[in-house]
Amino acid sequence: MLLQQLVNGLTLGAVYTLVALGFSLVMGVLGILNLAVAELFMLGGYVGLGLMLDGQPLLVGLAAAALVTAVLGVVVERVAYQPLRNAPPIAPLLSTLGFSVIFQTVATNVWGSDPLLLPAELMDHRYALGSVSVGQAQLVVMATAVGMVAALALVMRHTRFGTGLRAIAENRDVARLLGVPAALVTSGAFALSGAMAGVAGVLIGLHYGALTPFVGVEVGLKAIAVMVVGGTTSIWGVLLAGPLLGVLEVMTVAFGGAAFRDMTVYGLMILTLLLRPQGLLGRAGGAQRV
Amino acid sequence: MTFSRRSLLAAPALLLARPALSQARFAGLEVKLGAIVPSSGPFAEWGRANTVALRMVEEQVNAGGGIGGARLSIAIYDDAARPAQAANLVRKLADDDKVLAIAGPLTSSACEVAFPVANQAKLVACSQASSKPGTAAANRPWAFRNTIDEAVLMKTALPWFKGAYSVDSVAIIYDAKDANAVALGSRIMPEMLKEQGIRLLNEGSLATFNTGDIDVSAQVTALKALNPAALVVAADYSQAVTVLREMRRQGFIKPIIGGTPLISSAILRAAPEIPVVSCATYYAGQQGEKVQRFTNALQPRLRATAGLPPTIEPSMYDAHMVEIVGMYSDAVLRGGLTLKPADLESDREKLRAHLEKLSGYEGLSGPIHFAPSGDAVKVFFTVVGQNGSWTEKVRGCSTSGSLTC
Repeated sequence: MLLQQLVNGLTLGAVYTLVALGFSLVMGVLGILNLAVAELFMLGGYVGLGLMLDGQPLLVGLAAAALVTAVLGVVVERVAYQPLRNAPPIAPLLSTLGFSVIFQTVATNVWGSDPLLLPAELMDHRYALGSVSVGQAQLVVMATAVGMVAALALVMRHTRFGTGLRAIAENRDVARLLGVPAALVTSGAFALSGAMAGVAGVLIGLHYGALTPFVGVEVGLKAIAVMVVGGTTSIWGVLLAGPLLGVLEVMTVAFGGAAFRDMTVYGLMILTLLLRPQGLLGRAGGAQRV
Repeated sequence: MTFSRRSLLAAPALLLARPALSQARFAGLEVKLGAIVPSSGPFAEWGRANTVALRMVEEQVNAGGGIGGARLSIAIYDDAARPAQAANLVRKLADDDKVLAIAGPLTSSACEVAFPVANQAKLVACSQASSKPGTAAANRPWAFRNTIDEAVLMKTALPWFKGAYSVDSVAIIYDAKDANAVALGSRIMPEMLKEQGIRLLNEGSLATFNTGDIDVSAQVTALKALNPAALVVAADYSQAVTVLREMRRQGFIKPIIGGTPLISSAILRAAPEIPVVSCATYYAGQQGEKVQRFTNALQPRLRATAGLPPTIEPSMYDAHMVEIVGMYSDAVLRGGLTLKPADLESDREKLRAHLEKLSGYEGLSGPIHFAPSGDAVKVFFTVVGQNGSWTEKVRGCSTSGSLTC
């Protein structure tokens, strides 16, 4: 049972990692906690899975989810972030929270509160490794989490867009003087963050076989904890903290009970903030941006 | 959307046993009722369907000449299944809307907070769904529930479940944030399993999860390791779907028993091969002229309503809502009410007294009375959901003293 629980924990960690990436890109680079990411993740799931239920292949579902949530990410940036860029940090935070509530309400009105159920046979195949059983969807979620972290790190390190983002993070005005199109790059960050959340929504919906409009809150808060533990300025930190919190959560439920689950997860987040505020892989002072 | 005159006239026949509708002693007056439903939040589907059912009744009753000539008007409010909001709405309906009585709230958690306010306001509130033991009994005399206590239902369902699936051991998992699920999972079932001689394999460490959780893999892996003959799942259907899907994913196919909130079409689709045993006082597909007339009238309206799934079927709680309005209408006609604004307080008291001694009222599946606890005495069915449909297995009655079906 212990090994199976480990697999459960790693899968859950991968789920948190996927969503945390959406938070991490904007938070780590621009210093903004975009709370709407949690609901973009949920909306992406509905768009992608809805198309798959209509007979479209997985790739079409993923592409459509990424496109819709990228556009919505830009809408959030234009309405909730740009006009409040020079306001105290609480202002854009609350503004994105407002978007989060609106997105959830829209989803409830469009798709209803009942779970959106996928056909049970979708990605149903399981691989038996001794006493441990791993599902096809679990493998896809774990592989995508690793792949997306690596891809994002590459984008941040080796592309003009990534360099521009890091320059804006250091000093927006200087970056503009150096020719970085700050407004465009910032919009790109929100779009990429939204697209990643949307893709995560589809894959996670596939894994669990069901989706509700309320899934964003629960997963979103855990993803924020993952981002904090991993280090808000470190994208690779998310890949370490996600599985760590996933396994911690699953083991707590299995051997201590679900009542203690959130206590351990958020307890670790508070401990991290107290003892190592930069997170596991972050650097003090926020100098590291990848 | 158009409906035939026959379907428009169906509801009064469902609702009002006697006297005849042609009586117009209340002509020019209004019967103003209130309803509290969760049209947003996690139970929005139930609340929205309830709203459609209430509007259908309102339309049909008024098209049929009203209640003794009085126009029926139902003020429907959304509590989002939040207890505090439900309590505020009871106060608003009592003081601002000046309704005669309230249908709702839906959840036991909301009822636990709203019923005391109804008592204070001296206004009847009758829940369409709450089934946590003792919720109405703790708030007499103004609280009623057109539902049956889960403990009463399980006395019939569990022995049948034990025999039908040769169950000698079970494990329990329940939603720790749902009042009804906590009562069923942590108190009712452990005691009843003992009475039935069924071993509870996770006694002392019952598995739990929280409303809204999407990952229950750790709990299901732990339950699977116990290798029980069956599982008790105490949760509403939207949460139970998560457990069923995970069971299926881990190849843990065992029969399930749970409370009335499991009854839904979604649960049938979650893992069609897993038999789900529960109890209902109405289920889509139920046979009988009156019941089928109700189903046929409501189903197209539900499916044509934005925000509801195109495959939705009427639920037990829609049936309960229609019955509650029917019982209130019965009180108006036979309880000596005047419907004059000046008599509102005494009319509320007369309506309460009429419900307390309700007799001769025919619900969708048979007569309805109220026990001293405030819960309905009515017919119920133990049903099995498998391969896409519910099948009736045992018929029972929530008899209380001399009151029976």
